[in-house]
Amino acid sequence: MIDMEPMIEVKGLTVRRGNADAISNSTFSIEKGDYVGIVGPNGGGKTTLVLAMLGLLPKAEGSIKIMGQEIESFDQWEKVGYVSQFAINFDSQFPLTVRELVGLGRVNRRNMGRFRNKDDWTAVDEAIHLMGISDLANKRIGMLSGGQRQRAFVAKSLVSQPELLVLDEPVTGFDPVTQEKFFMQLANLNQKKGITILIVSHDLAAVFCRMSRVLCVNREVHSSAITEGTVPDEVLKRGYGEHFHFAFHQHQCQGVFIDEQF
Amino acid sequence: MSSFDVLDLPSLFQYQFLQMALVGGILAAVVSAWIGLFLILRKESMLVDGVAHTAFGGVAVGLLIGIDPMLGAMAVSAAAVLGITYMRRKGLAQSDAAVAVMMAMGFSLGMIVISMANGFNVELFSYLFGSILTIDNTDLTVLIALAVVIIGFMVFFYKEMLAITFDEDGARLQGIPVQAMTMAFNLLVAVTIALSIKVIGIILVVALMVLPGLTALQLKRSFKTTLIASTVFGVAAALLGIVLSVLFSVSTSGVIVFSAAGIFLFMAAYERLA
Repeated sequence: MIDMEPMIEVKGLTVRRGNADAISNSTFSIEKGDYVGIVGPNGGGKTTLVLAMLGLLPKAEGSIKIMGQEIESFDQWEKVGYVSQFAINFDSQFPLTVRELVGLGRVNRRNMGRFRNKDDWTAVDEAIHLMGISDLANKRIGMLSGGQRQRAFVAKSLVSQPELLVLDEPVTGFDPVTQEKFFMQLANLNQKKGITILIVSHDLAAVFCRMSRVLCVNREVHSSAITEGTVPDEVLKRGYGEHFHFAFHQHQCQGVFIDEQF
Repeated sequence: MSSFDVLDLPSLFQYQFLQMALVGGILAAVVSAWIGLFLILRKESMLVDGVAHTAFGGVAVGLLIGIDPMLGAMAVSAAAVLGITYMRRKGLAQSDAAVAVMMAMGFSLGMIVISMANGFNVELFSYLFGSILTIDNTDLTVLIALAVVIIGFMVFFYKEMLAITFDEDGARLQGIPVQAMTMAFNLLVAVTIALSIKVIGIILVVALMVLPGLTALQLKRSFKTTLIASTVFGVAAALLGIVLSVLFSVSTSGVIVFSAAGIFLFMAAYERLA
Protein backbone atom coordinates (compact mmCIF):
# COMPACT_ATOMS: atom_id res chain seq x y z
CA MET A 1 0.00 0.00 0.00
CA ILE A 2 1.40 3.42 -0.88
CA ASP A 3 1.68 5.79 2.06
CA MET A 4 -0.01 8.98 0.85
CA GLU A 5 0.26 10.87 4.14
CA PRO A 6 1.96 14.25 3.56
CA MET A 7 5.29 14.75 5.32
CA ILE A 8 4.05 18.06 6.74
CA GLU A 9 0.45 19.29 6.76
CA VAL A 10 -0.26 22.82 7.99
CA LYS A 11 -3.81 24.18 8.29
CA GLY A 12 -4.81 27.73 9.28
CA LEU A 13 -1.51 28.34 11.08
CA THR A 14 -1.09 31.60 12.96
CA VAL A 15 2.04 32.30 14.99
CA ARG A 16 2.35 35.42 17.11
CA ARG A 17 5.51 37.18 18.13
CA GLY A 18 4.60 39.79 20.71
CA ASN A 19 1.23 41.21 19.72
CA ALA A 20 1.75 40.86 15.98
CA ASP A 21 1.09 37.90 13.70
CA ALA A 22 4.44 36.64 12.37
CA ILE A 23 2.62 33.96 10.38
CA SER A 24 -1.04 34.46 9.58
CA ASN A 25 -3.71 31.89 8.76
CA SER A 26 -1.55 29.79 6.43
CA THR A 27 -2.37 26.43 4.90
CA PHE A 28 -0.04 24.24 2.84
CA SER A 29 1.39 20.76 2.71
CA ILE A 30 4.72 19.17 1.86
CA GLU A 31 4.78 15.72 0.33
CA LYS A 32 7.26 12.98 1.12
CA GLY A 33 10.32 13.29 -1.11
CA ASP A 34 9.79 17.02 -1.78
CA TYR A 35 12.84 19.27 -2.00
CA VAL A 36 11.47 22.59 -0.76
CA GLY A 37 12.94 26.07 -0.85
CA ILE A 38 11.56 28.52 1.73
CA VAL A 39 12.07 32.03 0.39
CA GLY A 40 10.81 35.51 1.19
CA PRO A 41 11.98 38.97 2.26
CA ASN A 42 13.98 39.54 5.45
CA GLY A 43 11.72 39.60 8.48
CA GLY A 44 8.95 37.89 6.53
CA GLY A 45 8.70 34.98 8.97
CA LYS A 46 10.74 32.17 7.31
CA THR A 47 12.56 31.15 10.49
CA THR A 48 9.39 31.63 12.56
CA LEU A 49 7.58 29.24 10.21
CA VAL A 50 10.38 26.65 10.51
CA LEU A 51 10.49 26.90 14.30
CA ALA A 52 6.70 26.58 14.54
CA MET A 53 6.67 23.56 12.20
CA LEU A 54 9.24 21.91 14.47
CA GLY A 55 7.30 22.73 17.63
CA LEU A 56 10.02 25.08 18.89
CA LEU A 57 7.64 28.07 18.81
CA PRO A 58 4.05 27.87 20.08
CA LYS A 59 1.29 28.39 17.53
CA ALA A 60 -1.63 30.69 18.28
CA GLU A 61 -4.09 28.97 15.95
CA GLY A 62 -4.29 26.15 13.44
CA SER A 63 -2.78 22.72 13.27
CA ILE A 64 0.56 21.21 12.23
CA LYS A 65 1.01 17.53 11.46
CA ILE A 66 4.35 15.84 10.82
CA MET A 67 4.23 12.34 9.32
CA GLY A 68 0.52 12.25 10.12
CA GLN A 69 0.97 13.07 13.81
CA GLU A 70 -0.12 16.31 15.49
CA ILE A 71 2.96 18.34 16.45
CA GLU A 72 1.93 18.32 20.13
CA SER A 73 2.06 14.54 20.30
CA PHE A 74 4.77 13.94 17.69
CA ASP A 75 7.34 11.55 19.16
CA GLN A 76 9.54 10.53 16.24
CA TRP A 77 12.07 13.34 16.48
CA GLU A 78 14.91 10.98 15.55
CA LYS A 79 13.35 11.02 12.04
CA VAL A 80 13.77 14.80 11.82
CA GLY A 81 17.09 16.54 11.24
CA TYR A 82 17.36 20.30 11.82
CA VAL A 83 20.21 22.76 11.43
CA SER A 84 19.46 26.23 12.78
CA GLN A 85 20.77 29.35 11.01
CA PHE A 86 22.79 30.05 14.19
CA ALA A 87 24.23 26.53 14.48
CA ILE A 88 27.66 27.47 13.18
CA ASN A 89 27.93 30.46 15.53
CA PHE A 90 28.92 28.31 18.49
CA ASP A 91 31.68 29.11 20.98
CA SER A 92 34.77 28.20 18.95
CA GLN A 93 36.58 27.21 22.17
CA PHE A 94 34.07 24.42 22.80
CA PRO A 95 36.17 21.23 22.93
CA LEU A 96 34.35 19.09 20.41
CA THR A 97 35.69 17.23 17.37
CA VAL A 98 33.66 16.75 14.18
CA ARG A 99 33.19 13.07 15.08
CA GLU A 100 31.96 13.96 18.58
CA LEU A 101 29.60 16.59 17.15
CA VAL A 102 28.13 14.20 14.60
CA GLY A 103 27.88 11.56 17.36
CA LEU A 104 25.49 13.87 19.22
CA GLY A 105 23.05 13.30 16.36
CA ARG A 106 22.61 9.73 17.68
CA VAL A 107 21.29 11.01 21.01
CA ASN A 108 17.53 10.85 21.47
CA ARG A 109 14.87 10.02 24.03
CA ARG A 110 14.77 6.36 23.05
CA ASN A 111 18.43 5.68 23.83
CA MET A 112 18.80 7.83 26.94
CA GLY A 113 21.25 6.39 29.45
CA ARG A 114 22.56 3.86 26.91
CA PHE A 115 26.16 3.85 25.73
CA ARG A 116 26.63 4.33 22.02
CA ASN A 117 27.70 1.12 20.32
CA LYS A 118 29.67 0.15 17.22
CA ASP A 119 26.60 0.62 14.96
CA ASP A 120 26.21 4.19 16.21
CA TRP A 121 29.81 5.06 15.40
CA THR A 122 29.59 3.34 12.00
CA ALA A 123 26.57 5.55 11.19
CA VAL A 124 28.56 8.58 12.39
CA ASP A 125 31.48 7.77 10.10
CA GLU A 126 29.10 7.17 7.17
CA ALA A 127 27.38 10.53 7.66
CA ILE A 128 30.76 12.27 7.83
CA HIS A 129 31.82 10.49 4.64
CA LEU A 130 28.54 11.40 2.93
CA MET A 131 29.21 15.09 3.53
CA GLY A 132 32.78 14.72 2.24
CA ILE A 133 34.53 15.71 5.46
CA SER A 134 36.14 12.41 6.51
CA ASP A 135 39.56 14.08 6.58
CA LEU A 136 38.23 16.51 9.21
CA ALA A 137 36.70 13.88 11.51
CA ASN A 138 39.16 14.38 14.37
CA LYS A 139 39.52 18.11 13.96
CA ARG A 140 37.97 20.45 16.53
CA ILE A 141 34.86 22.13 15.16
CA GLY A 142 36.16 25.55 16.21
CA MET A 143 39.00 25.16 13.69
CA LEU A 144 36.66 24.64 10.69
CA SER A 145 35.69 27.17 8.03
CA GLY A 146 32.05 28.23 7.68
CA GLY A 147 31.37 25.76 4.86
CA GLN A 148 33.04 22.90 6.73
CA ARG A 149 31.06 23.71 9.87
CA GLN A 150 27.83 23.69 7.93
CA ARG A 151 28.60 20.30 6.42
CA ALA A 152 29.53 18.96 9.86
CA PHE A 153 26.14 20.08 11.20
CA VAL A 154 24.30 18.56 8.25
CA ALA A 155 26.20 15.31 8.93
CA LYS A 156 25.00 15.52 12.56
CA SER A 157 21.43 15.93 11.40
CA LEU A 158 21.79 13.01 8.95
CA VAL A 159 23.29 10.52 11.36
CA SER A 160 19.95 9.43 12.79
CA GLN A 161 18.89 8.65 9.19
CA PRO A 162 16.07 11.21 9.17
CA GLU A 163 13.15 11.22 6.77
CA LEU A 164 12.86 15.01 7.04
CA LEU A 165 15.78 17.45 6.94
CA VAL A 166 15.26 21.15 7.72
CA LEU A 167 18.09 23.63 7.09
CA ASP A 168 17.75 27.31 7.95
CA GLU A 169 19.94 29.48 5.69
CA PRO A 170 22.67 26.87 5.38
CA VAL A 171 24.74 28.60 2.69
CA THR A 172 25.06 32.10 4.15
CA GLY A 173 28.65 33.22 3.61
CA PHE A 174 29.53 30.41 1.16
CA ASP A 175 31.47 31.14 -1.99
CA PRO A 176 29.59 30.11 -5.19
CA VAL A 177 31.61 26.90 -5.71
CA THR A 178 31.10 25.68 -2.13
CA GLN A 179 27.42 26.62 -2.31
CA GLU A 180 26.94 24.70 -5.55
CA LYS A 181 28.70 21.63 -4.16
CA PHE A 182 26.59 21.83 -1.00
CA PHE A 183 23.31 22.01 -2.95
CA MET A 184 24.43 19.10 -5.13
CA GLN A 185 25.09 16.99 -2.04
CA LEU A 186 21.60 17.79 -0.77
CA ALA A 187 20.03 17.01 -4.15
CA ASN A 188 21.85 13.69 -4.04
CA LEU A 189 20.39 12.94 -0.59
CA ASN A 190 16.93 13.91 -1.77
CA GLN A 191 17.03 11.80 -4.93
CA LYS A 192 18.95 8.75 -3.79
CA LYS A 193 17.83 8.43 -0.18
CA GLY A 194 14.37 9.96 -0.59
CA ILE A 195 14.85 12.42 2.26
CA THR A 196 12.35 15.29 2.28
CA ILE A 197 14.41 18.48 2.50
CA LEU A 198 13.32 22.01 3.48
CA ILE A 199 15.83 24.81 3.01
CA VAL A 200 15.45 28.44 3.98
CA SER A 201 17.40 30.31 1.31
CA HIS A 202 17.74 33.72 -0.30
CA ASP A 203 19.21 32.19 -3.44
CA LEU A 204 16.19 32.03 -5.74
CA ALA A 205 18.21 30.66 -8.69
CA ALA A 206 19.35 27.68 -6.58
CA VAL A 207 15.77 27.11 -5.42
CA PHE A 208 14.32 27.11 -8.97
CA CYS A 209 17.20 25.04 -10.37
CA ARG A 210 17.26 22.28 -7.83
CA MET A 211 14.05 22.13 -5.84
CA SER A 212 10.60 20.75 -6.45
CA ARG A 213 8.51 23.17 -4.37
CA VAL A 214 8.77 26.73 -3.13
CA LEU A 215 7.17 28.30 -0.06
CA CYS A 216 7.19 32.07 -0.29
CA VAL A 217 6.78 33.55 3.18
CA ASN A 218 5.84 37.10 4.07
CA ARG A 219 3.48 36.77 7.05
CA GLU A 220 1.36 34.56 4.82
CA VAL A 221 2.74 31.40 3.26
CA HIS A 222 2.27 30.85 -0.48
CA SER A 223 3.13 27.44 -1.84
CA SER A 224 3.78 26.33 -5.40
CA ALA A 225 5.30 23.34 -7.18
CA ILE A 226 8.33 24.15 -9.34
CA THR A 227 8.09 22.70 -12.79
CA GLU A 228 11.11 22.70 -15.04
CA GLY A 229 11.84 26.02 -16.69
CA THR A 230 9.08 28.04 -15.04
CA VAL A 231 8.97 30.49 -12.20
CA PRO A 232 5.76 30.81 -10.16
CA ASP A 233 5.69 34.60 -10.57
CA GLU A 234 2.33 35.00 -8.83
CA VAL A 235 3.63 33.33 -5.68
CA LEU A 236 6.78 35.46 -5.65
CA LYS A 237 4.77 38.65 -6.19
CA ARG A 238 2.58 37.78 -3.21
CA GLY A 239 5.65 37.30 -1.07
CA TYR A 240 7.97 40.06 -2.28
CA GLY A 241 5.44 42.59 -3.64
CA GLU A 242 3.74 43.41 -6.92
CA HIS A 243 6.82 45.17 -8.30
CA PHE A 244 8.88 42.01 -8.03
CA HIS A 245 10.01 40.10 -11.06
CA PHE A 246 12.63 37.40 -10.92
CA ALA A 247 14.53 37.08 -14.19
CA PHE A 248 15.39 33.41 -14.22
CA HIS A 249 16.61 31.37 -17.15
CA GLN A 250 16.69 27.61 -17.10
CA HIS A 251 20.14 27.56 -18.71
CA GLN A 252 21.51 29.12 -15.52
CA CYS A 253 21.14 25.68 -13.97
CA GLN A 254 23.31 23.95 -16.49
CA GLY A 255 27.00 23.62 -17.05
CA VAL A 256 28.11 25.04 -13.74
CA PHE A 257 30.49 23.41 -11.27
CA ILE A 258 29.88 19.87 -12.43
CA ASP A 259 31.54 17.51 -9.98
CA GLU A 260 31.85 13.85 -10.97
CA GLN A 261 31.84 12.82 -7.31
CA PHE A 262 28.13 13.54 -7.15
CA MET B 1 49.15 20.02 63.61
CA SER B 2 52.93 19.62 63.62
CA SER B 3 54.84 19.58 60.36
CA PHE B 4 56.56 16.48 58.93
CA ASP B 5 59.95 16.04 57.33
CA VAL B 6 59.96 15.51 53.57
CA LEU B 7 61.97 12.32 54.14
CA ASP B 8 59.08 10.97 56.23
CA LEU B 9 56.80 11.06 53.18
CA PRO B 10 56.43 7.25 52.73
CA SER B 11 55.66 6.72 56.40
CA LEU B 12 53.24 9.61 56.27
CA PHE B 13 50.85 7.59 54.14
CA GLN B 14 50.47 5.07 56.96
CA TYR B 15 48.50 7.60 58.99
CA GLN B 16 44.81 6.89 58.78
CA PHE B 17 43.86 10.58 58.81
CA LEU B 18 45.94 11.14 55.69
CA GLN B 19 44.59 8.04 53.94
CA MET B 20 41.02 9.21 54.57
CA ALA B 21 41.88 12.73 53.51
CA LEU B 22 43.39 11.48 50.27
CA VAL B 23 40.36 9.29 49.45
CA GLY B 24 37.97 12.15 50.24
CA GLY B 25 40.10 14.66 48.35
CA ILE B 26 40.36 12.48 45.25
CA LEU B 27 36.59 11.81 45.19
CA ALA B 28 35.75 15.49 45.62
CA ALA B 29 38.29 16.43 42.95
CA VAL B 30 36.88 13.94 40.43
CA VAL B 31 33.24 14.99 40.80
CA SER B 32 34.17 18.69 40.98
CA ALA B 33 36.22 18.42 37.80
CA TRP B 34 33.43 16.66 35.89
CA ILE B 35 30.63 18.93 37.05
CA GLY B 36 32.90 21.97 36.77
CA LEU B 37 33.79 21.37 33.12
CA PHE B 38 30.11 21.27 32.16
CA LEU B 39 29.48 24.44 34.18
CA ILE B 40 32.33 26.28 32.42
CA LEU B 41 31.00 25.27 29.02
CA ARG B 42 27.48 26.33 30.06
CA LYS B 43 29.02 29.67 31.13
CA GLU B 44 27.67 29.18 34.64
CA SER B 45 30.90 29.07 36.67
CA MET B 46 29.69 31.74 39.08
CA LEU B 47 26.68 29.61 39.94
CA VAL B 48 29.12 27.59 42.05
CA ASP B 49 30.29 30.62 44.00
CA GLY B 50 26.74 31.80 44.59
CA VAL B 51 25.41 28.43 45.70
CA ALA B 52 28.49 27.74 47.86
CA HIS B 53 27.94 30.98 49.77
CA THR B 54 24.27 30.09 50.10
CA ALA B 55 25.39 26.77 51.61
CA PHE B 56 26.89 28.76 54.49
CA GLY B 57 23.35 29.25 55.78
CA GLY B 58 22.76 25.50 55.54
CA VAL B 59 25.92 24.71 57.49
CA ALA B 60 24.92 27.15 60.23
CA VAL B 61 21.38 25.71 60.45
CA GLY B 62 22.83 22.16 60.53
CA LEU B 63 25.12 23.07 63.44
CA LEU B 64 22.25 24.81 65.24
CA ILE B 65 19.76 21.96 65.07
CA GLY B 66 22.36 19.21 65.44
CA ILE B 67 22.30 17.49 62.05
CA ASP B 68 25.32 16.88 59.81
CA PRO B 69 26.20 20.37 58.49
CA MET B 70 27.02 18.79 55.12
CA LEU B 71 23.39 17.68 54.83
CA GLY B 72 22.24 21.15 55.88
CA ALA B 73 24.49 22.66 53.22
CA MET B 74 23.12 20.23 50.65
CA ALA B 75 19.48 21.04 51.49
CA VAL B 76 19.99 24.81 51.33
CA SER B 77 22.16 24.56 48.19
CA ALA B 78 19.48 22.48 46.49
CA ALA B 79 16.82 25.02 47.52
CA ALA B 80 19.04 27.80 46.14
CA VAL B 81 19.48 26.00 42.81
CA LEU B 82 15.74 25.44 42.53
CA GLY B 83 15.13 29.10 43.40
CA ILE B 84 17.63 30.32 40.80
CA THR B 85 16.12 28.04 38.15
CA TYR B 86 12.60 29.25 39.02
CA MET B 87 13.58 32.95 38.88
CA ARG B 88 15.27 32.46 35.50
CA ARG B 89 12.38 30.51 33.99
CA LYS B 90 9.70 32.90 35.20
CA GLY B 91 11.74 35.92 34.07
CA LEU B 92 11.92 37.31 37.63
CA ALA B 93 15.67 37.84 37.31
CA GLN B 94 18.48 37.21 34.88
CA SER B 95 20.94 34.45 35.62
CA ASP B 96 23.62 36.48 37.46
CA ALA B 97 21.03 38.52 39.37
CA ALA B 98 19.23 35.35 40.48
CA VAL B 99 22.53 33.92 41.76
CA ALA B 100 23.28 37.17 43.61
CA VAL B 101 19.85 37.18 45.31
CA MET B 102 20.19 33.57 46.48
CA MET B 103 23.77 34.11 47.63
CA ALA B 104 22.77 37.10 49.74
CA MET B 105 19.78 35.27 51.24
CA GLY B 106 21.80 32.16 52.13
CA PHE B 107 24.65 34.11 53.65
CA SER B 108 22.24 36.29 55.62
CA LEU B 109 20.56 33.17 56.96
CA GLY B 110 23.95 31.97 58.20
CA MET B 111 24.69 35.29 59.89
CA ILE B 112 21.31 35.33 61.66
CA VAL B 113 21.77 31.76 62.89
CA ILE B 114 25.29 32.51 64.15
CA SER B 115 24.07 35.53 66.06
CA MET B 116 21.27 33.42 67.57
CA ALA B 117 23.58 30.62 68.74
CA ASN B 118 27.05 31.53 69.89
CA GLY B 119 29.35 28.60 70.44
CA PHE B 120 30.00 26.95 67.14
CA ASN B 121 32.06 29.65 65.52
CA VAL B 122 35.20 27.49 65.43
CA GLU B 123 33.36 24.62 63.75
CA LEU B 124 31.75 27.01 61.30
CA PHE B 125 35.22 28.33 60.49
CA SER B 126 36.24 24.82 59.36
CA TYR B 127 33.39 24.81 56.80
CA LEU B 128 34.32 28.24 55.52
CA PHE B 129 37.92 27.21 54.85
CA GLY B 130 37.69 23.40 54.64
CA SER B 131 39.07 20.72 56.95
CA ILE B 132 39.85 17.65 54.88
CA LEU B 133 42.48 16.46 57.37
CA THR B 134 39.85 16.07 60.09
CA ILE B 135 37.49 14.03 57.94
CA ASP B 136 36.02 11.04 59.85
CA ASN B 137 34.40 7.76 58.84
CA THR B 138 30.89 9.24 58.71
CA ASP B 139 32.05 12.13 56.51
CA LEU B 140 33.86 9.72 54.21
CA THR B 141 30.85 7.40 53.93
CA VAL B 142 28.56 10.32 52.99
CA LEU B 143 31.17 11.58 50.56
CA ILE B 144 31.55 8.18 48.86
CA ALA B 145 27.76 7.71 48.59
CA LEU B 146 27.29 11.16 47.02
CA ALA B 147 30.23 10.70 44.68
CA VAL B 148 28.80 7.39 43.46
CA VAL B 149 25.45 9.10 42.67
CA ILE B 150 27.13 11.97 40.82
CA ILE B 151 29.59 9.80 38.90
CA GLY B 152 26.79 7.35 38.01
CA PHE B 153 24.61 10.15 36.63
CA MET B 154 27.43 11.70 34.64
CA VAL B 155 28.54 8.33 33.18
CA PHE B 156 25.06 7.21 32.14
CA PHE B 157 23.88 10.59 30.88
CA TYR B 158 27.21 11.77 29.47
CA LYS B 159 26.00 12.08 25.88
CA GLU B 160 22.71 13.74 26.86
CA MET B 161 24.46 16.30 29.08
CA LEU B 162 26.99 17.02 26.33
CA ALA B 163 24.17 17.48 23.79
CA ILE B 164 22.31 19.88 26.13
CA THR B 165 25.48 21.79 27.02
CA PHE B 166 26.42 22.27 23.38
CA ASP B 167 23.00 23.11 21.96
CA GLU B 168 19.97 23.20 24.23
CA ASP B 169 17.40 23.78 21.46
CA GLY B 170 18.91 21.06 19.31
CA ALA B 171 18.80 18.63 22.24
CA ARG B 172 15.16 19.53 22.90
CA LEU B 173 14.31 18.81 19.26
CA GLN B 174 16.02 15.42 19.53
CA GLY B 175 13.51 14.55 22.24
CA ILE B 176 15.86 14.88 25.21
CA PRO B 177 13.96 16.14 28.30
CA VAL B 178 16.15 19.21 28.61
CA GLN B 179 14.30 20.81 31.52
CA ALA B 180 14.34 17.68 33.68
CA MET B 181 17.97 16.89 32.83
CA THR B 182 19.04 20.46 33.58
CA MET B 183 17.21 20.36 36.89
CA ALA B 184 18.87 17.06 37.81
CA PHE B 185 22.27 18.46 36.83
CA ASN B 186 21.73 21.62 38.88
CA LEU B 187 20.81 19.52 41.91
CA LEU B 188 24.03 17.58 41.40
CA VAL B 189 25.87 20.90 41.34
CA ALA B 190 24.37 21.59 44.78
CA VAL B 191 25.39 18.13 46.02
CA THR B 192 28.92 18.53 44.63
CA ILE B 193 29.30 21.88 46.35
CA ALA B 194 28.12 20.46 49.69
CA LEU B 195 30.50 17.54 49.25
CA SER B 196 33.46 19.76 48.35
CA ILE B 197 32.91 22.17 51.22
CA LYS B 198 34.44 19.70 53.66
CA VAL B 199 37.51 19.42 51.45
CA ILE B 200 38.17 23.00 50.46
CA GLY B 201 35.63 25.20 52.22
CA ILE B 202 32.84 27.48 51.12
CA ILE B 203 35.11 30.34 50.11
CA LEU B 204 37.32 28.35 47.75
CA VAL B 205 34.99 25.64 46.41
CA VAL B 206 34.63 27.50 43.11
CA ALA B 207 38.37 27.05 42.48
CA LEU B 208 38.23 23.25 42.83
CA MET B 209 35.32 23.13 40.37
CA VAL B 210 36.53 25.62 37.79
CA LEU B 211 40.35 25.54 37.66
CA PRO B 212 40.81 21.89 36.52
CA GLY B 213 38.33 22.32 33.65
CA LEU B 214 39.85 25.64 32.65
CA THR B 215 43.31 24.02 32.64
CA ALA B 216 42.10 21.12 30.50
CA LEU B 217 40.55 23.55 28.01
CA GLN B 218 44.03 24.99 27.39
CA LEU B 219 44.92 21.70 25.68
CA LYS B 220 42.40 22.37 22.88
CA ARG B 221 41.58 18.68 22.43
CA SER B 222 38.37 16.63 22.03
CA PHE B 223 35.68 16.72 24.71
CA LYS B 224 36.59 13.24 25.95
CA THR B 225 40.27 14.14 26.32
CA THR B 226 39.35 17.44 27.98
CA LEU B 227 37.16 15.63 30.52
CA ILE B 228 39.90 13.11 31.34
CA ALA B 229 42.54 15.85 31.56
CA SER B 230 40.26 17.91 33.80
CA THR B 231 39.94 14.93 36.16
CA VAL B 232 43.70 14.35 36.19
CA PHE B 233 44.42 18.02 36.93
CA GLY B 234 41.80 18.13 39.71
CA VAL B 235 43.12 14.98 41.38
CA ALA B 236 46.73 16.18 41.03
CA ALA B 237 45.85 19.48 42.72
CA ALA B 238 44.03 17.70 45.55
CA LEU B 239 46.90 15.24 46.14
CA LEU B 240 49.56 17.93 45.97
CA GLY B 241 47.56 20.20 48.23
CA ILE B 242 46.93 17.59 50.90
CA VAL B 243 50.48 16.21 50.98
CA LEU B 244 52.25 19.58 50.82
CA SER B 245 49.99 21.10 53.46
CA VAL B 246 50.82 18.24 55.84
CA LEU B 247 54.53 18.47 55.09
CA PHE B 248 54.69 22.21 55.60
CA SER B 249 51.86 22.53 58.09
CA VAL B 250 49.90 25.14 56.13
CA SER B 251 46.25 25.49 55.08
CA THR B 252 45.20 22.47 53.00
CA SER B 253 42.53 24.25 50.99
CA GLY B 254 44.90 27.13 50.28
CA VAL B 255 47.57 24.78 48.95
CA ILE B 256 44.99 22.83 46.87
CA VAL B 257 43.89 26.05 45.18
CA PHE B 258 47.47 27.22 44.69
CA SER B 259 48.38 23.83 43.20
CA ALA B 260 45.39 24.00 40.83
CA ALA B 261 46.26 27.57 39.88
CA GLY B 262 49.92 26.62 39.41
CA ILE B 263 48.99 23.76 37.09
CA PHE B 264 46.68 26.10 35.16
CA LEU B 265 49.40 28.74 34.69
CA PHE B 266 51.94 26.11 33.67
CA MET B 267 49.61 24.55 31.07
CA ALA B 268 48.50 27.92 29.73
CA ALA B 269 52.14 28.99 29.29
CA TYR B 270 53.17 25.60 27.87
CA GLU B 271 50.39 25.56 25.27
CA ARG B 272 51.28 29.04 24.11
CA LEU B 273 55.04 28.50 24.00
CA ALA B 274 55.09 24.92 22.68
